[in-house]
Amino acid sequence: MRTAVLDTRHVTTYEYGEPALRSQNILRVAPRETRWQRAIRSRVDVDPTPEGVGTHRDYFGNETHSFEINEPHARLVISASNSVELREPVLPDPAATAPWETVRGRCFPCQGPDAFEAAEYLYDSRRVTRGGRFGEYARTSFPAGRAVFDAALDLNRRIHREFQYDPGSTEVDTPVEDALRTRSGVCQDFAHVMIACLRSMGIPARYVSGYLRSNPKFVGVEASHAWVSFYCPDTGWIDLDPTNDVAPSLGHVTLAWGRDYADVPPVKGVTLGGGEQKISVGVGVTEREQPCE
Amino acid sequence: MSDWFERSYRSSLAAEGLSGSWIWDEASAKEGGMRPHWRKTAAAIEELGQQGLRQRWEEAERLIEQNGVTYNVYGDQRGTDRPWPLDPIPFVVDAAEWRTVEAAIVQRARLLDAILGDLYGPRRLLRDRLLPPSLVLGNPHLLRACHGIRPPGGAFLHIYSADLARSPDGQWWVLADRTQGPSGAGYALENRMVTSRVMPEVLAEAAVRPLAGFFQTFRDSLARLAPRNRDNPRIVLLTPGPYNETYFEHSYLARHLGFTLVEGGDLTVRDRHVYVKTLGGLLPVDVIARRQDDNFCDPLELREDSMLGVPGLVHAVRAGNVTVANALGTGLTETSAMCAFLPGLCRAMFGEELKMPSVATWWCGQELPFAAVREQIGRLVIKPAVPSHGVTPVFGERLGSMERESLLARIKQAPGKYVAQELVNLSTAPVWTGRGLAPRRLVMRVYAVFTGDTYAVMPGALTRVSSSMDSFVVSVQAGGGSKDTWVLPDGPLSDYVPQRPPAPAVVSRATFALPSRVADTLFWLGRYCERIDSAVRLSRAILEGGIEETASRSGARLAVALGALRGLKYLRPAGPEATPSSPEEIEAALLGVIHDTSRRGGIAWMVGQLRRLAWLLRERISEDSWRVLYGLSLRFQESGDDSAIPVAGSLDLLAETILSLSAFSGLAMESMTRGAGWRFLDMGRRIERGLQVCQVLRFGLREAGNDEAGAVEALLAVAESSMTYRSRYLASLQTGLMLDLLLLDETNPRSVAFQLERLGEHVAVLPLLTIDAPEHPERSTLGALTLSLRSVRVEELARGPLDSLPELDRLLDALIHGLGDLALSLSRGYLSHATPARLVATA
Repeated sequence: MRTAVLDTRHVTTYEYGEPALRSQNILRVAPRETRWQRAIRSRVDVDPTPEGVGTHRDYFGNETHSFEINEPHARLVISASNSVELREPVLPDPAATAPWETVRGRCFPCQGPDAFEAAEYLYDSRRVTRGGRFGEYARTSFPAGRAVFDAALDLNRRIHREFQYDPGSTEVDTPVEDALRTRSGVCQDFAHVMIACLRSMGIPARYVSGYLRSNPKFVGVEASHAWVSFYCPDTGWIDLDPTNDVAPSLGHVTLAWGRDYADVPPVKGVTLGGGEQKISVGVGVTEREQPCE
Repeated sequence: MSDWFERSYRSSLAAEGLSGSWIWDEASAKEGGMRPHWRKTAAAIEELGQQGLRQRWEEAERLIEQNGVTYNVYGDQRGTDRPWPLDPIPFVVDAAEWRTVEAAIVQRARLLDAILGDLYGPRRLLRDRLLPPSLVLGNPHLLRACHGIRPPGGAFLHIYSADLARSPDGQWWVLADRTQGPSGAGYALENRMVTSRVMPEVLAEAAVRPLAGFFQTFRDSLARLAPRNRDNPRIVLLTPGPYNETYFEHSYLARHLGFTLVEGGDLTVRDRHVYVKTLGGLLPVDVIARRQDDNFCDPLELREDSMLGVPGLVHAVRAGNVTVANALGTGLTETSAMCAFLPGLCRAMFGEELKMPSVATWWCGQELPFAAVREQIGRLVIKPAVPSHGVTPVFGERLGSMERESLLARIKQAPGKYVAQELVNLSTAPVWTGRGLAPRRLVMRVYAVFTGDTYAVMPGALTRVSSSMDSFVVSVQAGGGSKDTWVLPDGPLSDYVPQRPPAPAVVSRATFALPSRVADTLFWLGRYCERIDSAVRLSRAILEGGIEETASRSGARLAVALGALRGLKYLRPAGPEATPSSPEEIEAALLGVIHDTSRRGGIAWMVGQLRRLAWLLRERISEDSWRVLYGLSLRFQESGDDSAIPVAGSLDLLAETILSLSAFSGLAMESMTRGAGWRFLDMGRRIERGLQVCQVLRFGLREAGNDEAGAVEALLAVAESSMTYRSRYLASLQTGLMLDLLLLDETNPRSVAFQLERLGEHVAVLPLLTIDAPEHPERSTLGALTLSLRSVRVEELARGPLDSLPELDRLLDALIHGLGDLALSLSRGYLSHATPARLVATA
């Protein structure tokens, strides 16, 4: 089985037009344990020195860090350094998975805790509304009786092909309907579009926030990345990255998941005062030569 | 005149065609005559006579207006509030019936509380398929951030309310549940206060159960749930602010219960503890009684688009450091679709039948109910399944067949988002129309509070009546009225008087525990009063007696006032206003300054600001003070709408402004306690008045030319000191004497020296904010200013031509800077907590 050890560094810098009197923040920047990912090291540094530091596992099981700064400050730097070990996921034969029409029925009434949890990701959430045009768009990939993984791969491929990657076309709060209408956006929009499509077909789908290893073939490596995970009965959750038309393997580091972006922004803060603020984000992911262990 | 009550009501029932039995009337029995439990009340009202009732009711309306009992109407741009509509005829409920209602409400409160406990905990109801998952997991009112939080005492609902309606067969039905921060209990209390004041003998005759015990229980129950300081916890009432429709009630309840009324911006979370930001620093908060929607309570963990919330509140609740009542997340059980599942839930969770049914409810998210809705849509009301703002119910009976089909098609797109409910043919009760009695439909809102192990029901209710018999919409928003609700006792009344625990004997004097936001608003209220006063006097100096007349009689007077207006930036620095020469130009410029509400910084605009600030302080300033400023702003609004105002009309308005401002300051002097709030109001005035005197002198004298007497006269008039001057110095108008009076004379309430002395008194009692500071920075600033004033000699100030007095310029500069520094250091030290600007950012 192939493995990889990745070191990540994620630096978020806020610069304020006038000193911020106070800020309070919640971070979701620690790696999550998954079947294919093990955290080796996780560290968060904040400058200036924070107060009221705490950690908490959120509703979706993500580790959060929270802190506050009670002195006036002109800038705030948050650095998260992680190391993770990844194993290549073992995925089922797409054509051999359950017909997509049966998935919804197998989430509820629940068959096991996994399915009970999956029901959480079937409905509308803050950023993702089902139905309408999403159902129409998805239908091409979901003919009657098609195996769910096969159909999801097709949808993943279509979004990659038919949507334009354009960082200028959307903002962090662009409604997902706009991304579908203009067929453009960034990883966050593609993930939201795909989630809306999957949920419209009755497939539980969640939003995964993380990083992407430097790779000339990939887009979205310089900032934090986002992709999709859908529920496949008998197998569990399977990740798909519509931005790059891949099933994530040794290049995707998982930080957190939720129903959509609003559940899991890597850094979220409330500032008192501060005037205009400028946010810059840098992410670096490198593979270690020697796998540790 | 006996039995006019019954006769009058009977004839109006007959006139409405209601004497049959297709509707339940609360007062009048089907077989004729009054229902027995109404007889005493009706007899006591008959005793008053119609004339007596009319008089009493005028008194009640006065009382309501005096007490400022108001509610706000959504979408009312003027931000005005309406007087609370109360009908003089109470709604009477007999003891046996009340026992049934009481038992049903206690059961329902317990049931909803248990449902919340499950849905924010183990979720057995979902696993056991007693509730459909989409109704819970797809519900925007499920606050996932609050999952797993066990509230102190185990209760999610501390106060619960339900709207009840009676159908023609006499059965009560629950129309809706209010589980977040139910409104109206305060209005019910206020209604009782009014009826007991104006109809004491009627209330006594009917022997009605009192309400006070219920509120005492609520207060005690919240105090018991404080994580610490249970003997004397700090309880705050969190309001979304003065623009909320029931803001009056928030401030009324806060006062009645002894809670501090706060907005989100008044609270701050530090290291998972909640504090209220006051002039004296941060004070810990133990319990938050919440009247704000839970989704908007914490921009950090709940909806980030809310600027009303308290960032970090969820974290503090999770850490168990503060109790929020009702618990965050309780909005979930206001989902009307849940009504359809309550009978089954009650059986499964309690092994009991639901004691009072919900109005028949079909949730379209399920196939069979949706089919039933399709069948009978003509007699149903279609509503959103989960509470959503701005969505009005649709009455099926009012739709044509095309409209019905298109509605059904819309539902089919997202069936889970809709419920259909049966229309209850609401019962009626008599209301007083001013001339007689008439039937109106009614809905009764009842309340229950958590007592530690069960719920206690308020022996009374907020009963609302429709505006007419044609209206099925019963709400005050829709123009309906309200009634005091009289619950009759089971036995002798004394049994019901609750044992009040001895009131705490702590006398609370004015302290610095005043929210910084309030102090900041008062400070600016004071500053705007003085700024307007000065601008008005400058304008008046020019307009009075006619511009041409002024110009010909005293060129200096016109020049001085225009110079000051220009220097203070009332006149635009470019265009015709920069150097208006003809009387027409001057008049046009001045009228713009006075009347144009859109002219930033102008008089009309400042009056608008004044009213906005006063509005924000509604619960802090007296009703009379508010009325003065509100009336003034209305006059400016009217004059702003009028395009051609003659100079005479403008002068009237200016005179009225000066009178209103002095009435306001007189009321503040006479009616505000000498606490921190009054001090900040007065400091704002003093600083601004000092600044205005200095600036008018600086900019005015430069333009005075060589007409000393004219300039001195004008400046004295603007500074409202002509009379003092004349009484002291008789006729001779000299610059030096004028400067002495306006700057140095500590006995002249208009002089700078006088302002500094008052400011000194205020600063002396400000709390010291940092322990390591040797003294207040404000004290040293003031000390330096006083010194610079005392060390000048008037002769030196006045030496030279009027447009070049270097000594005076130096002094005025020092004073203007010093007063500016003082304002800045006050806001940094004491008011900075009030900084509202908040930014939510994600990356």
